[in-house]
Order: sequence, then C-alpha cells, then structure tokens
Amino acid sequence: MAVTLHSSRFGDLEIPDEAVIEFPNGLIGLGGTQYALLARNDESAFVWLHSLDDPDLAVPVTNPFRFFDHFELELTDDEAARIGMTDADDPAVYVTVRATDSLEDFSANLYAPILISSGRGHQVINQSADAPVRAPLFERPAAGERVQAA
Amino acid sequence: MLIITRRAGEKIRVANDICIEVIEVTGSTVRIGIAAPRSIPVYREEIWAAVQAENAAAAQSPAQLPDVPAPASSSTGRN
Repeated sequence: MAVTLHSSRFGDLEIPDEAVIEFPNGLIGLGGTQYALLARNDESAFVWLHSLDDPDLAVPVTNPFRFFDHFELELTDDEAARIGMTDADDPAVYVTVRATDSLEDFSANLYAPILISSGRGHQVINQSADAPVRAPLFERPAAGERVQAA
Repeated sequence: MLIITRRAGEKIRVANDICIEVIEVTGSTVRIGIAAPRSIPVYREEIWAAVQAENAAAAQSPAQLPDVPAPASSSTGRN
C-alpha cells in the first residue's frame, strides 16, 4: 500500500506505507502528524521532511554529524521518557535547515533536532551548551579576506 | 484568556489529567509545577516560540536546493 502525496513543491508522489513517519506531537509550532523523508538526489546533503497532511508543509533537514564535528545531543530525563527512545533504538538524527538564495546564509537548528526511529519521529530540545538555533552550515570567508571573482 | 487568582499551594486543573500548581511566590517570580501525562510536551514559551519561528523559516525554504554534497563523514558521524 502507498499514500499519494500532492506536494505543492514536488508534485504528486507515491509514498510507500513503510516510509510514513508518525510524529505524535508534530513539529514544534507547525503540527502535522505524518511525515516522510524525500531525497531528491542520493548525493545531496539535504533531504526534505514533508508533511503528508499539508501539501505546502516541508522542511529541508540534514545530518548534523556530517556538518558539525562537535555536535552533541543531550535530552532532559523527562523528554527522553516522553519520546520513549533510548540509545539502543539508535535513532536517526536530523536538524532543520533554513535555506536561502545564498549558501552563506544557510543555517541549521542544532537546538531542536528531530529523532526518527522505527517509523516514529519527535522534535526535541537539545540541552547541550553549544547548540544554537541558527548555526551557519557553510564557512564564511574570514574577516578581511576577499572572495575572488572567477 | 481565562484569568484566575491563586495563592501558593493552590492548583488549577486543565481537563482531567493536567494539574498546574503555584508552588511559591517570591517577589516577581512564581514557581509553577505542572503535572501532565508524559506524552504531552511542556515548554517555556520563549523556547517554544524560538523553535516555532525557526521551523516556520525552514518551511519557507525554496524547493530547489543546491546539490551540495555533505562534508565527509567525521569519525563521530552517524545516521
């Protein structure tokens, strides 16, 4: 079985049942209860977490461990109990990406990662001290350094 | 908005399974205890608002993202 997603960005897509991810509490402030991860290209750093309830609702996400060597995720005991996942579940970790026209302005939200395991997903609050809401994804030229025109 | 006056030690019940207690009032600070089912997330408003705003901004991202390869996976890389 599959569900058909009528995405306003990507057109009609067939989502196999096993790819449906239940988000009991949705994304914080955005809601939605069912999402799927859409990869446009196997090589790309970014995949889309697309709502199956709302054709307009999708956020790019990426793997924080690939971009941020020092990324750490720390949950309160209450939140760990709420989502019912432990290290043994080995959840996949994603962070939302704010994409713009300029790569220099791309940022990732290390403060509110998304954990996915066994078809369930939760957005959590990262208690780690070094987890900004808007962490730049790409290096900017150092101060004083000019970007050379090609 | 429903506004209720309570003293320290008094409680407010929301539906059948959420209980909010005023624990202590010290000057302009109020300590509040919230008993709710585990499945209900509870956030400080400013934290909820910051994440909501960032989620909303991410959801405005253009459909065409550049095909940027991920950096090489570091030794601690997962997923």
